[in-house]
Amino acid sequence: MSVMARPELSASPPPPTTLIAAYQAPGMGGWDELVDADGALRSHWGTLATQLDRLGGANELARRGDHAQRLIRENGVTYNVYGDPRGLDRPWQLDILPQVIAGAEWDKVAAGLAQRAHLLDLILADCYGPQRLLHDGMLPPAAVFAHPGFLRPCHELQVPGGRRLHFYAADLVRGGDGQWRVLADRAQAPSGAGYALENRIVLSRALPEVYRECQVRRLASFFAATRDTLIRLAPRHRDNPRIVLLTPGPYNESYFEHAYLARYLGYTLVEGGDLTVRDDSVFLKTLGGLHPVDVILRRLDDDFSDPLELRNESTLGVAGLVQAARSGNVAIVNALGSGLAQNSALMPLLPRLCRHILSEELLLPSVESMWCGDAEGMSRTLGHLDSLVIKPAFGPGRGEPRFGNQLSEAELAELATRIRARPFAYLAQEQIRFSTTPVWSGGALQPRSMALRAFAVATSDAYAVMPGGLTRISADPALPMVSMQRGGGSKDTWVLADGPVEHISLLRPVGAAVELRRGSIDLPSRVADNLFWLGRYAERAEDCARLLRAAVLRLADDPGSFAGRELAGLTATLRRVGLLAADEPSPANPSEIEEQLLTLLHDEELDCGMPANLHRLHHAAFAVRDRLSNDTWRVVNRLDRELESRPPMATRLGDALSLLNRLIANLAALAGMGMENTTRGPGWRFLDLGRRLERAMFTADLLRALLAVEDSDSGLDLLLDIADSGLTYRSRYLTNLQPAAVLDLLLTDVTNPRSLAFQLQSIFDHVAHLPRELDRALPSPEERLALAIDTSLRLADPLELAGTDHGNRLAEFLDRLSEDLVLLSDGITRTYLSHLVSSRASDNGRIRETPDSASAKAD
Amino acid sequence: MRYRVRHTTTYSYRESVAVSHNLVHLVPLDSSRQRCLRHELTVSPSPATAHERRDYYGNRTGTFTVQQPHRELVVRAVSEVDTHSLAPPALASSPPWEHIRELLGGGACSRSGARCAGEFAFDSPLIQNNSELAAYARESFPAGRPILEAADELNHRIYSDFTYDSAATSVHTPVSVVFGHRRGVCQDFAHLAIACLRSLGLAARYVSGYLETMPPAGQERLVGADASHAWFSLYAPNPDLPRDPWSDFDPTNDCLTGDRHISVAIGRDFGDVSPLKGMILGGGPHEILVSVDVVPIAVSAGHRQQQSQ
Repeated sequence: MSVMARPELSASPPPPTTLIAAYQAPGMGGWDELVDADGALRSHWGTLATQLDRLGGANELARRGDHAQRLIRENGVTYNVYGDPRGLDRPWQLDILPQVIAGAEWDKVAAGLAQRAHLLDLILADCYGPQRLLHDGMLPPAAVFAHPGFLRPCHELQVPGGRRLHFYAADLVRGGDGQWRVLADRAQAPSGAGYALENRIVLSRALPEVYRECQVRRLASFFAATRDTLIRLAPRHRDNPRIVLLTPGPYNESYFEHAYLARYLGYTLVEGGDLTVRDDSVFLKTLGGLHPVDVILRRLDDDFSDPLELRNESTLGVAGLVQAARSGNVAIVNALGSGLAQNSALMPLLPRLCRHILSEELLLPSVESMWCGDAEGMSRTLGHLDSLVIKPAFGPGRGEPRFGNQLSEAELAELATRIRARPFAYLAQEQIRFSTTPVWSGGALQPRSMALRAFAVATSDAYAVMPGGLTRISADPALPMVSMQRGGGSKDTWVLADGPVEHISLLRPVGAAVELRRGSIDLPSRVADNLFWLGRYAERAEDCARLLRAAVLRLADDPGSFAGRELAGLTATLRRVGLLAADEPSPANPSEIEEQLLTLLHDEELDCGMPANLHRLHHAAFAVRDRLSNDTWRVVNRLDRELESRPPMATRLGDALSLLNRLIANLAALAGMGMENTTRGPGWRFLDLGRRLERAMFTADLLRALLAVEDSDSGLDLLLDIADSGLTYRSRYLTNLQPAAVLDLLLTDVTNPRSLAFQLQSIFDHVAHLPRELDRALPSPEERLALAIDTSLRLADPLELAGTDHGNRLAEFLDRLSEDLVLLSDGITRTYLSHLVSSRASDNGRIRETPDSASAKAD
Repeated sequence: MRYRVRHTTTYSYRESVAVSHNLVHLVPLDSSRQRCLRHELTVSPSPATAHERRDYYGNRTGTFTVQQPHRELVVRAVSEVDTHSLAPPALASSPPWEHIRELLGGGACSRSGARCAGEFAFDSPLIQNNSELAAYARESFPAGRPILEAADELNHRIYSDFTYDSAATSVHTPVSVVFGHRRGVCQDFAHLAIACLRSLGLAARYVSGYLETMPPAGQERLVGADASHAWFSLYAPNPDLPRDPWSDFDPTNDCLTGDRHISVAIGRDFGDVSPLKGMILGGGPHEILVSVDVVPIAVSAGHRQQQSQ
């Protein structure tokens, strides 16, 4: 019997205390959050340690960790990594162990954060107003004038309460002396508060008893303050202002958070194209017309917010927004121009500025920093380049930090040249060792570097600081970088209360229905468009899966006999519904068709294949993430995982079959969510309209391929199978396959939810109930067309159409039907979704001087 | 000189435009060298909202929004301006250029005119300097040379090294490309000169305006044949001479500006002072027709056109 067993390999769980006891802080003068220099547990972690012991050791902690990660996957908590083709919605990483901070210590940090936010707000007010700090020599010109975030059109723009900085965040780190310091200020549109909230919700579910016993301060107060602030800022409609959250869109790194916060705070999530400026006021474009917007919570960078007065090439903004703000008709949070405060050049100056402006000492210091725009700062920087961290001075996103000690001689020389050329654009910071904190990894607690993003929101007279924040941890122990973009993880941050904490529920119960909170009135046209396409893609994926399954079943059943008419029928179907391109040869034998089917199931590149369809479905769902319930989103994510974990291409038909079964079950669940869990508002109508139109088109194609060409028992059987109507048929007609009976069931029977008649009835109903911008007495063109198709179906005689002499008539009938369906789809798009057209520039081009060039170059 | 300037821009759209937001810089400046006597802006169809204000640089700027569906937008600005030429600055007795650079680099922001001169010493959205441009500029700026003499030479070199070619560049052509191809129009040359001067640590700004052009000998002035023009302005205060610290050079015409130059707006680059900029909803493809007339008028009473100089 071995005496030396590694803890995670031993048969019985290790004694509980080993988890904490086995933790080894790196030492070497660094600060560890959990243990002091002697390896003793810091007292504020005591309750957590005791609770972890009670939990039952490593196995239980591992189980809870899995639970937390599962909650994250199911809730679709994601983070987009730029520049990574697979980067879109990478699952969020949350450690099962929280970061614990003592209450008294936090109160000091919070006071420092509030002071810093206030100070930066006053600096902004001065730069966008009288500029006294510049004239008095308190601010060097380059710190303002060279900053790309100093937006001249926003100078002297009056803002509500004179305040520009409503949301402020700071990245805090703790060095060897245990002092918290600010590594960077965030003043543009700080992200992370929503992730902090989601972390809290997940961890309080994964570790409910631990969370309860630790008496953790709640985050809800911070979000309540946020709501109050935004309402107070509204220039009008104070009783019920319309507040929107403006996002750059699904490709932004923290889009998940935008959708999540919008949902949590009850605001409409909008993109620039959803808003328009008329009469110097901002309006939301909805299906029902234009509705005034009072407050914009901005997650779009300010220079992108108005292509007319700010960054010209921006397609994400709202033309005329600056003038609307200037006219006082809309409050923008943070104010346009606040990005200027995201300014590392200020860091070395803040203690002096704080004394000058507030007559106070700066409570929360910055990491030792030197700005190269200052002659002394530059010479000191160049003298110690190999031991410093060099960062872009004017905020993140303007270059990566460079670590002097990791650069070669040549690289250092090159960096020095660049600094000399534009000194004001660089900040040098002392390379400090970040504190370490225990992270659950590989069956044990391991030390990782950490940084804490803390948040403050303006209240009527001060700043309220979130009791907690987003703790971020490095990806591996050797890396000092803490960045979600670089694959690090996160932790919930528990600030301990002094006594029992009042229990406040933060969220409505999980599993609420698709949310259309304000009924028809606030459904942005863009959302309607995405719901419409979500319906279409979901149905398209399901149709594709059903067709593939029916084919695979037959092929697996008896490959030898799969030839002749059966093969021809299947090939015709694949062609008709677009799964086999016109220029591709028909498969000549069972192994060729097998190859074809597996390609459709696997090939990412194939435009009509299953993976491409599911990607499109995911994309449309992602764009309306804030409108989908967690349950719905969970199904969408499960589809993704099925696809990712699919067996390799050279798979057996049996594996393909079971994959298809799982996909169909999930797609059916998605359809069920749409029917059973969705309020019957216009949002649902667009979703269902998409689905019905797609199914009608598919069914018409199926009938055309399998019935109108030549009828055979195998074709009819395939048809019934794909259309999921075999059971109904057999209950009516037993095994007697008759074209007319099949046609009746799939074409004219309004009781069969798979029939064309059923689809058209639904479509007509939707079209008749969609909102109209004008009060028209006559039916809309779409309504007429839907009615015409519906009527032609009701009048159709299956017996006559299916008669052997009338093969051509059926073909003609179905062809016309298909054409009309396309017209209908186009008409709906034109009527309801066309004012999605966004603004574009009509610059008069350039200045020119020669007489022969009267017509300026247009761009 | 007294001029009447008519600047008309006509947009024709193939499809109807629902909303059009516009930003204009069309009112001539008031300065030590010129005075705007009269200005009238007419927009058709008539805008639903219109505002005029002083922008950050002190230019009179307007914003207006047309909210009725239209296929054509006409923006017509008519101004009357008095210009007079000042005694040309004494190039050779201007301070050494490094003095000015030190003045700008020194801590506090010295107020000059409406804005700190330091404002114009840094890169701006359309003008980024680089080491090539700095090297080109250096040739004219040996140590201790009087700043205006050096600038005049730089102005002359741009005039002779670069070819006026309206087909070579577009609004979006970066300065580095203009430098590489040695071709461009007045806007490009102004940007290029500004980039050169800023690369030396000096402050230079962009001036948009008009220039009275002379019809070829024996021909009549063509209506609408003039155009917007652009040049640059260098910060070069002379402590001994209390005059405007900014001196204007026209690299397209190899000269200092005179009473035939009419300034409309100043900024860091073209982007700050674009005469007319718009964002539209709808419209499809469109065409633009710009027509500018700079006509001398008699100072006494006259609306009579003068053909002579």
